[in-house]
Amino acid sequence: MSDAGAAAVRVGARDISRRFGDVVANDRIDFGVAPGTIHAIVGGNGAGKSTLMRILQGLDRPDAGTVILDDRPVRLASPADAFAHGIGMVHQEFMLVPERTLLENMILAREPIVAGGIIDRAAARAAGERVAALAGAKLDWDMRAADTPVHLRQVLEILRLLYRDADVLILDEPTAVLAPAQIRELIALLRRLKQEGRTILFISHKLDEVMDASDVITVLRHGRVVGTMRPAETSNAQLVELMVGEPVELPTVTPAAAQGEPPLLSLEGLVARDGRGLKRLGPVDLALYRGEIVGIAGVAGNGQDELVACAAGLGTIESGAIFLDGAAITRAGTRRLRELGIGYLSADRAAEGLCLAASIRDNLIAGGEHRPPFSRAGLLRPAAIRAGAERALAGLSVQFGKLGDAVGSLSGGNQQRLAIAREFGRKPRILIAVQPTRGVDIAGIAFIHRQIVEFRNRGGAVLLVSEELDEILSLSDRIIGLHGGRITGELPRAAANLERVGRLMLGEAAA
Amino acid sequence: MTSAMAQMRASSLAGALIPVVLALAIGAIVLAATGHDPLSVYRLMAVESFGGEKRLQATLSAATPLLLTGLATAVAFRTGIFNVGVEGCFYLGGIVAAGLGFWLVGWPSTLIIPVALLAAALIGGLWLLLPGVLKVRLGVDEVVTTLMLNFVAINLTSWLVNGPLLARGSANSATPAIQKAAELPRLLPLTTLNLGFAISILLVLLYGCWGRFTVAGFRSRLAGLNARFCRAVGIDVSSLVIRIMVLSGLIGGLAGGIHALGLVHRFVAGFSPGYGFAGIAIALLGRNSAIGIILAAIAFGALASAGATIQLFSDVPIEITQVLQGAVMILAVAKLGFGRGRGTAL
Repeated sequence: MSDAGAAAVRVGARDISRRFGDVVANDRIDFGVAPGTIHAIVGGNGAGKSTLMRILQGLDRPDAGTVILDDRPVRLASPADAFAHGIGMVHQEFMLVPERTLLENMILAREPIVAGGIIDRAAARAAGERVAALAGAKLDWDMRAADTPVHLRQVLEILRLLYRDADVLILDEPTAVLAPAQIRELIALLRRLKQEGRTILFISHKLDEVMDASDVITVLRHGRVVGTMRPAETSNAQLVELMVGEPVELPTVTPAAAQGEPPLLSLEGLVARDGRGLKRLGPVDLALYRGEIVGIAGVAGNGQDELVACAAGLGTIESGAIFLDGAAITRAGTRRLRELGIGYLSADRAAEGLCLAASIRDNLIAGGEHRPPFSRAGLLRPAAIRAGAERALAGLSVQFGKLGDAVGSLSGGNQQRLAIAREFGRKPRILIAVQPTRGVDIAGIAFIHRQIVEFRNRGGAVLLVSEELDEILSLSDRIIGLHGGRITGELPRAAANLERVGRLMLGEAAA
Repeated sequence: MTSAMAQMRASSLAGALIPVVLALAIGAIVLAATGHDPLSVYRLMAVESFGGEKRLQATLSAATPLLLTGLATAVAFRTGIFNVGVEGCFYLGGIVAAGLGFWLVGWPSTLIIPVALLAAALIGGLWLLLPGVLKVRLGVDEVVTTLMLNFVAINLTSWLVNGPLLARGSANSATPAIQKAAELPRLLPLTTLNLGFAISILLVLLYGCWGRFTVAGFRSRLAGLNARFCRAVGIDVSSLVIRIMVLSGLIGGLAGGIHALGLVHRFVAGFSPGYGFAGIAIALLGRNSAIGIILAAIAFGALASAGATIQLFSDVPIEITQVLQGAVMILAVAKLGFGRGRGTAL
């Protein structure tokens, strides 16, 4: 850290290019982060942010160009190499051992050891207290990582980098899992670290916090740097335009009128457990009417996963009941629920929403393969399958080679369009949409939002779960807050704003 | 055919051939180290397994049980179930078919053969029902249950042939010979190649069509690629897993039944020299495809039949074929680790 002040660029890139086959992920990228500053990298999907961060972290190597550290070109061979240069990264998916305590997670890979290979717990704890004081954070070191709230897990990830003497912190989408108040705390923490002379580089989609937290913003598009500016010199609208290349119109949604009919889907006293058998939800009462979008706002891990799993027939219901059109469907399987008209857009596109290793065609017909026209008497009908897949793809503007190509070869946004096409192709009456635009670029978000709203306007009912508060606020007719597995309140669209929804998410009254 | 598809085919062909080539190289080293000329030994083996009609028939005859154990394993593997219990099914199917083969005195061939084979298949299917149910209901790892059930099956049949089913006056652990009527007809006179081979080839080809053209085959493939996805789109993965497990057991039991009625004509202790386990290597090497299973089974059959005669004509010990088999198995499994994992994570 001592000589870092002397350099003009603590970490940066000079003319970095990286290709994967025909795809140019990074195209002669030049940028530099001055020591002791907070630098944000923004860009849509496939803009090349992640590739660039992987290169700066030593996980990937550029085809051309070089990483710059302290004004000098450097070749990073591995993350350990990057660590040796003081560069550490907090990945979007936290890298913690769930069954171990926070202290054990912090010292992992650099344990203080006394003779005989025994871990020096006292030294570990002292080190933990030291870095926590440095960051102005407080943690219960003996809590298991699995039991720790998400925002504290993230703090731990940052402390771990401090423990390992990183003075350049790279954070990939650090606020994706946080509530508004927690985001403010995180930004305060980053500012504290900056004041100590550390350098912070963070990736984000969320322009408000980028404008709030950073000293300098670099915008990437299609693998190129399209702008570098200070927040004072720019605006959200200009950033969006730079990211997308052209102004995008997000659909304006008019709220649906209240309905006087019985609910289409209703949950009564629903209590559910997660995959490990822990009670996560309930009791919860919820009604969903025809022609409305109900947004569920909650910080990750507050029962929304179990709520949607139960509604989609994938959950473990402890007690309570679910009714569709007044008929009990509490323990009906996924297959039956789908036949009754419940569509499900999974948050986990790669592991549940799609089968990445299977073809586009297979993904589009999966779940409908046993019905005409796709099969007859147990035999598949390739021609009908092909026609059905082509019909589903029409109007999606998805770029693809052949119907037989693996879905994994498509970009994230196109994958999600495919998943939506499959669900709407089944003509559902209810759509359970979970994080429908996670990892999708702005043009894709607009498309997906339009699809959801059009479905609502045709009389469909949507249960929308999202960590993007903007998405909840712009789409929902009603917003329901979920905290600790319970409903904390409900806001009609007209009364909802960021602050009030944020309070619901934290378990406070909306007032 | 597009280039991407050609590329995929080429890489999957390479994936199947590389373990074989590497195994031959390892075998060559072993041969050279023990003072043999690898090339001439390999030439002799090739001649012994494929040179001439008679030797070819011996190879195909040796490949017969492997076709079915490979098939039984592949059915499970492609569904993402790591079933290693085919060996046990093979033993049980063998003893049931042999038992019916000598008990049903006076039955005509057209009755006794179908009944004995059907019973052999059924016992295999029932045998794997339990691990299937345990996996689905309680999440018990099928590798453990099916592997352990092998030992139960092997020892159970071994006890039976040493006690209740022991042929009178026989010192060996063997059942009496089956009725002449229960023997599978030979495809050609004076060879051991029998109807079992035709049945096996037919079943493997049927499996190829099943995988490609049926709803069940579609589901099995998708479940093997991503079971969680299948559940989310409404495919009942639990019942699929149980049914595929039973199907795998049916084929494994049938394999044992065909081996008893077609070749051994009785049941003896040590009925299988590891056919069920060789089936794992065959399924892996053949990438669960019908053609792949046929080629891999014939290759393993060739090794077995060449190995038996090779030591008559040279001083090469028969164990060299086991070195080759073992090397292919290890390398085929190692290949699996690169490509795809087994089933889904967690």
